[in-house]
Amino acid sequence: MNKKQIAITLGIMCLILTMGTVVQVRTINSANQIVAQSFADNELRDQVLRWKERYDTTYANLQNAEKKLEEVRETASANTEGSEEKEAELKKNNMLLGLTNVTGEGVVVTLKDNDAVDSSKVLDLSNLLVHDGDLLGIVSELKNGGAEAISINDQRIVSTSSITCEGNVISINGEKVSSPFVIKAIGRPTMYSALVRPGGTIEYLNSRIIATISQEDNITINKYNGVISSKYMQYDE
Amino acid sequence: MKLKIKFDKANIAMSISAFAVCIVLVTVMFVQFRTVEQVNESDIENMREAELREQISTYKSRYEEVNTQLEETNQTISEYQARIESNQEASELLDEELKQSRLLLGKTDVVGEGVVVTLQDNDEYSIVASDLIDLINELRFAGAEAISINGIRIINMTEIADIYGYILVTPNQRLVSPYVVKAIGNQTYLTSTLCLKNTGFIDSYTNTGRTVSLEQQKNIEIPKYEWDIDANYMKEDAEQ
Repeated sequence: MNKKQIAITLGIMCLILTMGTVVQVRTINSANQIVAQSFADNELRDQVLRWKERYDTTYANLQNAEKKLEEVRETASANTEGSEEKEAELKKNNMLLGLTNVTGEGVVVTLKDNDAVDSSKVLDLSNLLVHDGDLLGIVSELKNGGAEAISINDQRIVSTSSITCEGNVISINGEKVSSPFVIKAIGRPTMYSALVRPGGTIEYLNSRIIATISQEDNITINKYNGVISSKYMQYDE
Repeated sequence: MKLKIKFDKANIAMSISAFAVCIVLVTVMFVQFRTVEQVNESDIENMREAELREQISTYKSRYEEVNTQLEETNQTISEYQARIESNQEASELLDEELKQSRLLLGKTDVVGEGVVVTLQDNDEYSIVASDLIDLINELRFAGAEAISINGIRIINMTEIADIYGYILVTPNQRLVSPYVVKAIGNQTYLTSTLCLKNTGFIDSYTNTGRTVSLEQQKNIEIPKYEWDIDANYMKEDAEQ
């Protein structure tokens, strides 16, 4: 009887050991895969950084060139009649396009993923996150309220801007942005009342995520850090 | 009988081995847990790779855009400088620059290739403002340079809102179905983005019972924004 028991125990132990070994082997395999993968990723990361650097340098050069252009433009048209008005219009157009830094009164809206609620008590976790649609909603409310300039996490909203969701990240102007989202808007003070009215956007968003809003006198919004292109549209004459 | 078993050498060995089995089991469990975690991690790792590739492509195209703009700006500078040296008038150059900025702002009629998307009310579903906002966002994502709805140019700060059952766009223009949304831009990008199977705008809207259609056109004409664009609250930031 005892011998039998020992034999059975040994058998079970062998089985468990084998299982353990198999599991361990598989763990090591997958761990190796991760190492190999992150090596490949590192190369990609390098490439991203290289292209970002090239972009940044060229963009800095462009900014210098634009400053110089403004100078030569002024010198060249100093003696021309009516050039002052044209220069003023050009400046105004660039401001409206979002190609200059601007200041003024307006509102600052902050949207944050809701981490105060115990996530195990919620059926759908994605309800607690800020989605691209929330940002799009706020931006469109701000436009309806009379905003003149808007930025989200320093990404200026221009006529070619889109707010999209790729996988689990939100991207604006092709750049990734993440919670907390700080939305600045300069414009008519009615923006504020449009957003905070009972049943308005802020109240609605606060049922899921954390949304705050404040009115401010002096907001600075940075210019668009890209180029608005016109490759496909031509003057219709 | 019981006592005899307790002090039996074989039994002591067995309880030791049972203990060992317990330890092995616990270890195996931990290892297994870690395996599960690591598999998840590698999933994220995979996604990261796709994201990185996409980032590279984004920066590449942005670099090219900025580079072209830089070349153009440098050319304008040298043209201005030539005028300064030869003491000539530079008003045409200024006019040219002004024309370009008006083009980008939407104050000129434009023509080009692109797509025309038509949304229509049907018995089950009426088109609302957010549908149009959604569409415009998609079009801009796909690289649209100029957009109009029912002949009204959509500029950066255009409002689109539902008011008393109508869709209103700035300034106080009432829109009614069918909504014809024209967009000028790269036809291939526009079409492929909107026509993505199941997840694209056209499929996802059609599948939820809306009436949507898309048409590619070579010569789309989009009228200018006819009203003044004002900036009463923002000022250029002096300290740049």
